[in-house]
Amino acid sequence: MKIEVLFPESCNLYGDIQNMVYLKKCMPEAEFIETAIDEEPKFVKEDMNLIYLGSMKERTQEKVINKLLPYKQRIEELINNNTVFLFTGNSFEILGKYIENEDGSKIDALGIFDIYAKRDMMHRYNGMVLGKIDDMEIVGFKSLFSFSYGNNENEYFLKLQKGIGLNKETKLEGIRRNNFIGTYLTGPFLIINPLFTKYLMELMGVENPKLEFEETIMEAYENRLAEFKSKRVSEQGH
Amino acid sequence: MKKTFKFYIALWVAKIVAGLLKLLRRNASFLPGKIALKICPDFMGIIEKPEKIIAITGTNGKTTVSNMIIDALEKCGYTTLNNRIGSNVNSGIASSLLNGATFMGKTKKQIAVLEVDERSSKKIYPYLKPNYVLCTNIFRDSIKRNAHTDFIIDIINSAIPKESKLILNADDLICCSIGPENKEKVYFGIDKLDTDVEETTNILRDIRTCPVCNTKLKYEYMRYHHIGKAYCPNCSFKSPESDYLGTNIDFENKTIDIKTKSGTNKYKLISDNIINIYNMVAAIAALTELGIETQKIIEIFNDFKIVETRYSEEKVNDKKVVMYLAKGQNAIACSRTFDYIKHAEGKKAVMLNLDDFFDVKDSTENISWIYDTDYELLNDDSIEQIIVGGARAKDHCLRLLIAGVPKERIKCERYEVDAVNHLDLEKVDNIFILYDVYTVPTAEKVKAKIKEKIMQNVEE
Repeated sequence: MKIEVLFPESCNLYGDIQNMVYLKKCMPEAEFIETAIDEEPKFVKEDMNLIYLGSMKERTQEKVINKLLPYKQRIEELINNNTVFLFTGNSFEILGKYIENEDGSKIDALGIFDIYAKRDMMHRYNGMVLGKIDDMEIVGFKSLFSFSYGNNENEYFLKLQKGIGLNKETKLEGIRRNNFIGTYLTGPFLIINPLFTKYLMELMGVENPKLEFEETIMEAYENRLAEFKSKRVSEQGH
Repeated sequence: MKKTFKFYIALWVAKIVAGLLKLLRRNASFLPGKIALKICPDFMGIIEKPEKIIAITGTNGKTTVSNMIIDALEKCGYTTLNNRIGSNVNSGIASSLLNGATFMGKTKKQIAVLEVDERSSKKIYPYLKPNYVLCTNIFRDSIKRNAHTDFIIDIINSAIPKESKLILNADDLICCSIGPENKEKVYFGIDKLDTDVEETTNILRDIRTCPVCNTKLKYEYMRYHHIGKAYCPNCSFKSPESDYLGTNIDFENKTIDIKTKSGTNKYKLISDNIINIYNMVAAIAALTELGIETQKIIEIFNDFKIVETRYSEEKVNDKKVVMYLAKGQNAIACSRTFDYIKHAEGKKAVMLNLDDFFDVKDSTENISWIYDTDYELLNDDSIEQIIVGGARAKDHCLRLLIAGVPKERIKCERYEVDAVNHLDLEKVDNIFILYDVYTVPTAEKVKAKIKEKIMQNVEE
């Protein structure tokens, strides 16, 4: 099993990188490769079981776009051949068509997905999400300066019961194409969603995936799920 | 700016409100300023201000540094306008300006020393134009409010007057990126220490690559998080040299040398905590820049004591019970607290009560910050018990397990006070109660129960 963690020195906001720390505990035999932003990604020449990219500062998004643009075709090829990707927070915006600033200027992105992002740096959105993949319930946090626009009706990650999707007008969250999963959910997403972590390991080809600290992680998940379902967790963020 | 009719109305209404609040013994450090700004939005620009203004900003330490500067200036005989007991956002600063002015809007004070919230820069600097802006440091703070360090730096840089002389932390490269167009800058820092390392294990290091060429930065020495002396191995980018360098720190004799271009002088060390030593060097730099003679500053620091608002300890029989305001949702403040506990003497128990008061009451907390926090520092053989209480107890327990803390050392309870039942007094000498800004009453109940338990133990 090979897992490539892209640019962990630069793309690690809000505890995102701990998703990989936890996964490593669940998969002690797997090889975790950390690629710095001044190195060539390993996925260019090797196949990976998972490619992970975490949340980043807005200026870093521009650096990452420049870094990955030469490998656009390779990324598309990997998505088409069912390689598992997990892009959390604002990281999947770099695979859209462009990112628009408040002043209307646009930063061209990789253009793999038919969406675009719009930033609003003076209005931070904080909210919570309760959604489903099939019957699996997912909880999560959003803390963002940007939303994405475009049609993800056929390529969404989660259908939400609470919270907002790609933007305030939709309940369809994130992007899912084959095994590419991009979600605006930030922070320790795998740790607060142990059932999804198991599902992700299955997608990666792990036989009989096991969760480390299963009892505690499931109790924490059940607690949070009950809270998210309660009335005090509001429908919209702020 | 010319005093307008609207300005006088704002001034008088706000002064009357402030007077009434004082009569009612209510806090008058926010509302009067808010009213003044509502009536006259450029109130802060119009009101007469002291001849010299110094603003103190940054993520951590700004209150301590401001208090040191105010106390020192007042000992030198200056009258200061300050927001020591008030808020550090625009309404708080407007309240302080109002308080320091006559009924005709003339200033009554000689020097303004103002603590400024970083996020409020845009609402303050256009009206104040400080002669000096001191920044203590820039770290990651609340995810919801402060997002990330680029966001904070962009806010400060979009508002800071180019004419202000900047006093910056040379050991903090993020802080050093403030005011690229400001011509006048001086830096303070602390020389290499025996405790410095080549590579820190802290999770948060918000500048790891060269901002010029993206190459991974190297460090002559690292202290904690991104604090240290850095250089790029690929280009000429590096930490600036300190104009005020703390060096030869003698913890035993409690002295520190401050090296400047005009010589080296010995000062009394007012704390053995590195965070407060940075605060002290920053205050000395500011006072020198304000024109206070070195000999006078040395004399003042001889009598100085740091007022610890975050830390208090009490000896209860043979145990030490410590209350430590760790600031939940602030990964750096919590990590530094954990580091302090790790290095404290004796066998220890930690009561971890870090839930956000408002989220427990109204919603559910975004716990991302605990994964930015170095819980790994609590994985130490001297820490016998970590007892977590609160709505998020399971989350903290899981975080501790991921940090490698053995399961048998962790106890978990839904309610903070009930968690005291798990405390094993046979195992520990010192008990640390960690709490958040708004959970003081709960922390006090926890402390009372611990004291009761210790006394019961003695009787038995």
